[in-house]
Amino acid sequence: MRGMPALIRFARNRWPSLVRIASFVLLLLFIQPAPILVTLGPPRTVETTLPVLGVHTRLADEVEEWKIKKTLEMVREMGAASIVEFFPWAYYHAADGGFAWGHPDLVVNHAHNQGLRIIARLGFTPDWARPPDSPLNYLDASGYDDFAAYAAAFAGRYRGKVEAIIVWNEPNLSFEWGYRPATAADYVDLLRETYTAVKAVNPDIRILGGALAPTLEPAGSPWGLNDLVYLDEMYRAGAADWMDGLAVHTYGFKFPPEMEPAPDLLNFRRVELLREVMVAHGDAESPIYITEMGWNDHPRWTRAVRPGQRIQYTLDALHHVEDHLPYVEVAAIWMFRTPAPTRSYMDYFSLVTPEFIPRPIYGEIQQMARPGNGP
Amino acid sequence: MSAPGRRPIWFLMILGLCLLALPAACTREDDSLARVERRGRLLVGLDPTFPPFENADHGELEGIDVDLARALAAKLGVEAEFVYYGYDGLYDALLTEQVDVLISALVIDPARTRDFAYSEPYFNAGQFLVIRAADRPVVTGMADLSGRKAAVELGSEGHLQALAWQKKVTDLEIATLPTADDAMWLVRQEEVDAALADHTSARLYRRQFPDLALAAEPVTVEPYALVTRVRDRNLMKALGDALARMQEDGQLQELLSRWLDS
Repeated sequence: MRGMPALIRFARNRWPSLVRIASFVLLLLFIQPAPILVTLGPPRTVETTLPVLGVHTRLADEVEEWKIKKTLEMVREMGAASIVEFFPWAYYHAADGGFAWGHPDLVVNHAHNQGLRIIARLGFTPDWARPPDSPLNYLDASGYDDFAAYAAAFAGRYRGKVEAIIVWNEPNLSFEWGYRPATAADYVDLLRETYTAVKAVNPDIRILGGALAPTLEPAGSPWGLNDLVYLDEMYRAGAADWMDGLAVHTYGFKFPPEMEPAPDLLNFRRVELLREVMVAHGDAESPIYITEMGWNDHPRWTRAVRPGQRIQYTLDALHHVEDHLPYVEVAAIWMFRTPAPTRSYMDYFSLVTPEFIPRPIYGEIQQMARPGNGP
Repeated sequence: MSAPGRRPIWFLMILGLCLLALPAACTREDDSLARVERRGRLLVGLDPTFPPFENADHGELEGIDVDLARALAAKLGVEAEFVYYGYDGLYDALLTEQVDVLISALVIDPARTRDFAYSEPYFNAGQFLVIRAADRPVVTGMADLSGRKAAVELGSEGHLQALAWQKKVTDLEIATLPTADDAMWLVRQEEVDAALADHTSARLYRRQFPDLALAAEPVTVEPYALVTRVRDRNLMKALGDALARMQEDGQLQELLSRWLDS
């Protein structure tokens, strides 16, 4: 016995206590809540009388799978047939060429399972593809092929599930290039490289150019360039060959949706002026995807309207698209929900609170798209 | 004479204490209050487009936050100097040290507390029930609306709250109107029992119609507070103490009442 190791001796003497401790640990393991099991569930289809209706979701920063699924269920139940969603390049593409598809798989698979058409916006440059200490939006010509590789990998992976890819965001703003001086011709270079790479792996997916910010900034402004001028310059640089459709951002700000458009005015029907630029360049066959539209009802934002106006303007705008804009494939409202409150005017664009409580506008849109299901 | 074997222990203890004290020694001295006092002016950032809290539409800056800033500055022995920003630029202005404090009807935002410190709230801008004054004893909050009818502005926060409460109390009927004033008008007309409106709108409307009252319990809480940089602890403490004194001696209530009730 004297030669027996102390640990074994201790265990022999104290084994009843050890059993009790082990039992307690096991009990703790059993009483802790099991992780939420989320499954895709049966495939669903969207029931809607308004197939043009879409919504821009904000799932890139939504961590929990059940919230991703819940969001997309509520989108379908509202009667929206499509989503626009951001898939940040910087999140998923590593310097060694590897991809982390876990999160985008969740979003795409759940959206597809809910019967939703998916329009994917790609942007945000990984740090390995831009100079040190440059902003997240910075992208210069040396990174175009890397971006195109990401877009091609994305298009290949989600063949048959993602309908279209939007190349970059609001390229007519300096901010969206990390304040690098960039012209419309630079953007068309990015468009061409992306189009070529994507079509090589997935010829069926649509490449959307543009997604221009509605702005009246004059030539030479450090902030950006008028979207009508920029689109004209895009076409002059050959954009028509490298995109299958135009993504459009068109906000109503303080004006009602029926208000006539004018080049020196930012209102909802500015989309019609962008269309005129397309037609002038012989691109009348290409569709328009409105990937951001809407009104805001923040009590302090200078471009906001009253909550009731926001509802009415939104419904009227959707009617206007249906009745007068046959070339619009999708009219997606900015935006459905954020994972957490932003506590800024952005919260007042949403249709649903972070806690999944539908705002009254959600019910009104639902009543329009799925009569009998709204408030 | 100490034993030679103990010397390393004492040495390690002293070294440990020095290491513990090092971060404090390295911390930048907080001269935020002294800086304001030396300058003789408290630089206050605000967005002057939000009456009755701050408004410069008529050339002269006025409002609750303006009066509050002047009163707080006076308690610090300095003058308030106002710097205007757009609503979205306020926090950036503070972060880049263009101003000392923001007093601009800003709601406490827990997500910003890494960079910014908030005072105790000086006003709750959340939703309140507007009722007939005679009903004050029987309607103290949303739970008392069972079997009653409430009016709200269509699509507003009040509308959202009413819809949520409709699931918690029985037979709550909701009427939607184009504006909050329209909703409160229906209370006076006795067409509904209550209206939901934000605290400011409710107080301003009640000012015209004293036969109306606010129910005792707020429906939601939206606390307005002063904001400083988180490292400016001395300035925030001085402002917070001054605000507390204003609350204790009734000066704050008098200030709010001057703009909202009289």
